[in-house]
Amino acid sequence: MMNVIEIKNLTKTYGKSRGISDISFSVEEGEIFGFIGPNGAGKSTTIRTLLSLIYPTSGSATIFGKDTVQFAPEIKKEIGYLPSEVFYYDNMKVKDLLNYSASFYKKDCSKRIKELAEIMDLDLNKKIDDLSLGNKKKVGIVQGLLHEPKLIILDEPTSGLDPLMQQKFFELLEEENRKGATILFSSHILTEVQRLCNRVAIIKEGKIVTVEKISTLKENTYKKFKVETKETLAPYYFNLPGVNKLEVKGNLTSFLFKGNINEVMRKIAEIEITNLWIEEPDLEEIFMHYYEKEA
Amino acid sequence: MNILLHELRAYRKSTMIWTLSLIAVVALFMSFFPSFTKDTEEFRKLLEGYPVALREAFGINLDNFFSILGFYCYGLSFVTLCGAIQAMNLGTSIVSKEVREKTADFLLTKPVTRTAVLTNKLLAALISIIITNIIYLAAATLLAYQVATVDFKVSIFILLSLTVFFVQLIFLALGIIISVVVQRIKSVLTVSLATVFAFYFLGMFSSTSGDEVKRYLSPFKYFDTAYIIEKSGYEASFLITGAVVIIIAIGASFYIYAKKDIHSV
Repeated sequence: MMNVIEIKNLTKTYGKSRGISDISFSVEEGEIFGFIGPNGAGKSTTIRTLLSLIYPTSGSATIFGKDTVQFAPEIKKEIGYLPSEVFYYDNMKVKDLLNYSASFYKKDCSKRIKELAEIMDLDLNKKIDDLSLGNKKKVGIVQGLLHEPKLIILDEPTSGLDPLMQQKFFELLEEENRKGATILFSSHILTEVQRLCNRVAIIKEGKIVTVEKISTLKENTYKKFKVETKETLAPYYFNLPGVNKLEVKGNLTSFLFKGNINEVMRKIAEIEITNLWIEEPDLEEIFMHYYEKEA
Repeated sequence: MNILLHELRAYRKSTMIWTLSLIAVVALFMSFFPSFTKDTEEFRKLLEGYPVALREAFGINLDNFFSILGFYCYGLSFVTLCGAIQAMNLGTSIVSKEVREKTADFLLTKPVTRTAVLTNKLLAALISIIITNIIYLAAATLLAYQVATVDFKVSIFILLSLTVFFVQLIFLALGIIISVVVQRIKSVLTVSLATVFAFYFLGMFSSTSGDEVKRYLSPFKYFDTAYIIEKSGYEASFLITGAVVIIIAIGASFYIYAKKDIHSV
């Protein structure tokens, strides 16, 4: 399968602040790729470099197989970008702004603008000045999708959208994805990513921590054990290899475990228990795990 | 083309306001002319009483002050000052406006080169200035005909008026380079007023000292109205200096803008 985005050893350093260092990953055609990390980890820096709003200090990236710096204008014909903060020319009507945006692409987008505005429930005749933050965001969404781009890049796109709109927006993205668009979705909200993406790259302090399928990420991780016993256990009872975060609170013992689950089950079988919970960690916990491991 | 039209539309209102202001300034001056010429002798005596340095600072030349052209020159220096502010505003806002309104992300993620963006924006500013000058020139010439008591050379009148345009070009170029170099400009007007007035006063002081070389310091002194009236032309050395300043500033702006990181704010 073709890689739509390929990032190779991308580094961007600013005077004092961190930027990103030696980032490499690729996004395949047709996937929804999540890019997660806390604020300031370097998500926006990476995305802005891909869009050649800022230029790399070293390393390079290609989109559709073309260098992002050298072929920037050409590549951007097929990119739809939605920044986290949208502020558009205030003194314009929504309609005028969208037409202005459409005028950069050599195709007729008027039908698509109407469709998108309908889906997102956006009034085209209002002045952008008069719009609420959520509605401005909708303008941004329509603006990013009106030319039916092959690659959609979203930088924390959901802030300011109410849950209903967020739902519609995700459906819209999934629809675009079915039609063949590749999506790079940056966020610090894990449930969003979990809901939408096939694969994720986790970024921390300007470095990629891991790139995984969401499913593998969940398979290969810890299980959460919570054991309730009649009597308080000795704190070292579950001290096996692969056990983490062992906590004994009265009759309740909890820990994370990675490895052959039978070993734990055997240990559990030897004691008198009153209750037992074994849970899959949610993405948030996996994520925190990656963070803590590094820290 | 779409950027050009969009920018022109954005400048439409301010261009109209500036054009009308320039015309208002020249109209105000011209309206004094009839009463001025009535009492020529008394005025001349009064002005002769002023120190030479002061007269020169304000651009009053007694030899031609009482002709329509000479009188126009006096008003022209104020028109030029206003025009310079207009041009500097345009130049400074070209790039900084995008940063302040956070629209740079919008524009620069479209399939256009940065050079194309800057070219179109520059053209829009240039067209706005040209429109201002055409309307101003027409209005000023009409006014001059209205108040003139004796015939005057229209060609010289036009040469004089065109100096506004040339000074504007220089300040437009200065504005652009400032807006490209400075990361974030909070208030365009503050920057442009400060720069324009700094050069204006620099020009005033340089003319009081009578030192020719110091004239190069301020674009306001590149065009000596007395010289234009006398020789029906411009001083080549200052024209060249002006052109060099413009070319360097604009060339550097293109270079820097193409390489510059556009940070999110």
